Amino acid sequence: MNQMPTMPSTKQEHDVVFENIGMTFQTAAGATQAVANVTGSIPEHKFVSIIGPSGCGKSTLLDMVGGLLKPTQGSVSIDGEAVTAPRRDTAMVFQEDSTLHWRSVLDNVAFGLEVKGVPKDERHERARKMIELVGLRQFEDHRPGQLSGGMKQRVAIARAMAMEPRVLLMDEPFGALDQQTRQFIGRELLRIWEKTRNRVLFITHDIQEAVYLSDEVWVMSARPSVVKEVVKIDLPRPRPEGTHALPRFRELEDHLWSLVKVEAEKTLGPGAQLA
Amino acid sequence: MVAGQSGSGEDPWTRGAAGVTVAKTLTRSQPDPLRRRAAAVRWAILVGLVVVLEAATRTGLVDRTLMVPPSEILARLISIVPTGQFGADAVRTITTILVAFAVGLVLGIPLGVVLWRIPAAGRILEPFIVTGYAMPTLLFYPVLLAVMGLNAGPIILIAASMSLVPIALTTMVALNSIKPILHKLANSVNASPSQYYVKVLLPAATPLVFPGVKLGFIYAVIGTVAMEFILAAQGIGFRAGFYYRELNTADMWAYIAVVVVLSVLVNSILTWLEKRIRRDML
Repeated sequence: MNQMPTMPSTKQEHDVVFENIGMTFQTAAGATQAVANVTGSIPEHKFVSIIGPSGCGKSTLLDMVGGLLKPTQGSVSIDGEAVTAPRRDTAMVFQEDSTLHWRSVLDNVAFGLEVKGVPKDERHERARKMIELVGLRQFEDHRPGQLSGGMKQRVAIARAMAMEPRVLLMDEPFGALDQQTRQFIGRELLRIWEKTRNRVLFITHDIQEAVYLSDEVWVMSARPSVVKEVVKIDLPRPRPEGTHALPRFRELEDHLWSLVKVEAEKTLGPGAQLA
Repeated sequence: MVAGQSGSGEDPWTRGAAGVTVAKTLTRSQPDPLRRRAAAVRWAILVGLVVVLEAATRTGLVDRTLMVPPSEILARLISIVPTGQFGADAVRTITTILVAFAVGLVLGIPLGVVLWRIPAAGRILEPFIVTGYAMPTLLFYPVLLAVMGLNAGPIILIAASMSLVPIALTTMVALNSIKPILHKLANSVNASPSQYYVKVLLPAATPLVFPGVKLGFIYAVIGTVAMEFILAAQGIGFRAGFYYRELNTADMWAYIAVVVVLSVLVNSILTWLEKRIRRDML
């Protein structure tokens, strides 16, 4: 694991690069443009979150980096190579429970490595390390059915992390969890990420979560979506528990909220009641 | 299909002082007093029925040509079971059932996979299969006998075709009901087609396919014994039918008892297996 400090990398070939990508879905009702002209890059060692109104194509963007969807326009490249299929150095975490109910926690975490053909001893060793990191050591032999929703999500995170991806793609991983669990796991994720410092693309609805976790927050517009603004989160790392109370944190949160509000109003109609 | 069902509300996970998470306590169905009482009543009913039958047959309320006292059936059973003829009949019937079931399994599961994998095939073939379900296939038995001869072949064919239908249908339904997220997961780790089938689809579908497999086995038993009863040269069903036509009520009932015991035994084994497989689902 590389313990490199956060250094702004300028070399494009080491980035995840979105080059003017767009996505148009053909449906029975005609063509729907979900994503239009997104350009941007995720530098090495950076944690980037994407926020935006519902249905703005955030997940679409993530699926394109993961190689699950092909953009209908432009291209995504990782370290100078165009993404055409799921790559060996990317890993995904989803919002829904994606644990395999017939496998133990250990074999769930080792699943990605198993598919890649990593020998049993080695993959179990690597999986155990990750299980330790996400705090599930006593549950190694449990089945997902015996775990809570938050614990299952930690299994999914451990599975992705065990693959030691150069790019970690997280699609609202805490979306189905309650507020308390969500904050707790967010802190844990950050603690683990501080050790790995791989590139993370994180999709969320939660502005506070985005500010707390990220180096950059991309605010997406309503459909057809573009990146409306990139907000640099200049809070120092590591970020201890009190971070949420910092004045700068509040400022960033307010700023993001004002940006998201405009877009949400576009989606829901002007004067929409927003909590 | 409910998306995002990793519910948060009903999943209490408490956090200790040191941030240690504690799993919800595992509740596995234990033999509770209610269930135990039900089992006791069930046995009482069974014993009661036997006693009533014994009384009814001994007093002549039920004619001896219809039914003999259970004690007599048991006595016949005890003298029949050690004979070579019984051994040969039992081996013949059990082998026929197992072969028919194996054929049903080997053809039914791939058929279910095809029906799931190619929706057009599903749309085209499903009515045929459902008709096969509803139709008394035993009507083809005489024709098959004429074509294939008086051996286990026609019985296996009919029993296997009966066994195949529920297996194929539940396989299709089970594969259809796999959470889409698991397909996405397999895709995201770039699983090969064989890894996809062996490591994801098959284990995910197994608990849901099992009821169909169980039904398939039961159909293999019914098909085999019923065809033997109609016409065969050997087998437990044949022997029951033979004594029926001979008006040997005691021996007929002894063979019926064998079929009952066999069915209960098979069903218990399958239920036990099912519980083991389902335990992972929790």
